[in-house]
Amino acid sequence: MSFLYDFITRDKKRKPLPAKDRSNLPFAKLGFSFKEWHDSHINTHKWRNRRWAFVIFINLLFVVSFAFDLSILEGSLSGSRLIGIYLMDPFNSSQELIIGSRTGYLAALTTNFWIGFFVILTFYWLLGGRTFCSWVCPYHFFAEMGERARAYFIKKKKIRDKTYDITVKYIFWAGFLLLAYLTKELVFENLNPVGILSRSLIYGPGLALIWVVALLLYEVFGIKRFWCRYVCPIGVTYSFVGDISPVGVKFELDKCGYCTDCQDVCLVPHELWFVKKGAATKEVHFTGGDCTKCGLCIDICYGEALSFGFKAPSYILGGEIKKEKELHPLEIPAEDNKKNEKK
Amino acid sequence: MAANNPKLSRRQFLKASASAVISLAVVGSAAYYFKDKSSVLKTGVIRPPGSREEEELLYACIKCGLCVQICPVHAIKLADWDHYLSYGTPYIDVNRQACDFSCDAIQCAETCPTAAINFKIFKHAGDEAIAKLSEKYNGKLPPDVNPFEVQILAMKKADKMGVAKIPEPQQCLAYHGQGYKGKLGKTHSLLRPPGSQERIYIDEVEVNRKICDLCVVYCPLGEDAIVLKDLGEGKYLPEIKDDCVGCGVCQMVCPTEPKAIVIEPFKGLKTT
Repeated sequence: MSFLYDFITRDKKRKPLPAKDRSNLPFAKLGFSFKEWHDSHINTHKWRNRRWAFVIFINLLFVVSFAFDLSILEGSLSGSRLIGIYLMDPFNSSQELIIGSRTGYLAALTTNFWIGFFVILTFYWLLGGRTFCSWVCPYHFFAEMGERARAYFIKKKKIRDKTYDITVKYIFWAGFLLLAYLTKELVFENLNPVGILSRSLIYGPGLALIWVVALLLYEVFGIKRFWCRYVCPIGVTYSFVGDISPVGVKFELDKCGYCTDCQDVCLVPHELWFVKKGAATKEVHFTGGDCTKCGLCIDICYGEALSFGFKAPSYILGGEIKKEKELHPLEIPAEDNKKNEKK
Repeated sequence: MAANNPKLSRRQFLKASASAVISLAVVGSAAYYFKDKSSVLKTGVIRPPGSREEEELLYACIKCGLCVQICPVHAIKLADWDHYLSYGTPYIDVNRQACDFSCDAIQCAETCPTAAINFKIFKHAGDEAIAKLSEKYNGKLPPDVNPFEVQILAMKKADKMGVAKIPEPQQCLAYHGQGYKGKLGKTHSLLRPPGSQERIYIDEVEVNRKICDLCVVYCPLGEDAIVLKDLGEGKYLPEIKDDCVGCGVCQMVCPTEPKAIVIEPFKGLKTT
């Protein structure tokens, strides 16, 4: 297990690069003060709006497909069929495989199951793993709203934030698989707010919704993002494929002004560990497996240091990406400036 | 993120892991505790055709609801938390809506990705029936035999969800020689009468039988499953034959209250 952990934290364990001094910060290079630079940025919430629209769209598509008998996206988030292609929830499937290894049920599983299992893993590997969380998961959507409500109560000093060790989620992940193996039941599925919420939306609400509401309230008034951050094994499964995914949020150190505002809005702030002054170990960083690619950091970044980008295979294995020296904005030839103005 | 202070970080980790292990232990014991909580089969509540044995079904079913979506008469529902570990698994309450096989090819089984509802049973039975048929006629089918119909009928008969029973003949209208006039059913349920291609809502159809034999007339499996037996002296009683699979149409259309004919499930959603 420890080699896995070493792999996940491979970038963090490197020697940090020396911090840039004040004159080398992007706004200083442009001859602005931080405040001027900060105020010049208008946050259009581009990615946030797109994402919320998509979450609502995809969950509505499930509902509409059943309600009006359209064969577009049938099933629920535990298992579905997208225009004939099966898609299986990877953690539910993993539980089933582990029970099957004990009872011999593996032979009974259909081809569609295997297709669905590998298609979903490949799909989310290509798209960055926990992309599922912020772009599809209905529970995450409500939890994100809950996080906003929590921020309000924190502002009013009604509650305080405390962080816990996030590695605990790997224990839950392994633990739920072990429980499945021991009890021969899909134990996690009885508590899974993603499945419960998805089924409640599609097939009508039931008693199990009480648990989801309780969890949400606990996330607002108890531990911040308790389920998503510290427990959810579906997220952990996706984070494994996300860590070796070819896409991620790209961070370019030379454009960063060390304001760490991105970390404040980030839904998984530990993934943006490299934005702190003197923390980065590479010129170019990509967020790891826990990053949900929600784009909140990209929306808020004043220097466009953060963007969606492709990782080279060598980077995934722990290598560096050499950055071509970009021209200083004041050094850009006059012709190029004219072109930009026309746009 | 107390990475700067390794001692604090270790203590945090141990604390968090301890709470994780404790909560997992609680969830695990709860799972064991609730495992046998529901053990009673309820009359008229069956699993979809081809469902695996209860113990296997509970882990095989991934709770996606694809079977719910494909069923043309919306017979299948997913169980709620009050059924403990059966949560999310499919069942049919025949009083509300029975499985009338009007999908013609056991679609819920065909769509199930984890084979919790096992399509292989039906495919096998259908193929066998076709093979027998071609053997019987030496490959030359007479024009009045539709191989598709033979195959479908064999598939319908392939799995027993339960069996129809008449616990108290006194309840049955035919037993008293009485007829039935009125709506086919009180519930807004769908049914495709045998031989018809159209589905009807049973609360929208008027029927008039001299001797009430609705269970016999509307049985999707026909005379191999149920017949009306003449007991003499103007008394009649439905007789359930070997081919009854317990689909529940008879219970759904039975006009008496409580129902004279009920389904004793072999495999069904267990309750407390």
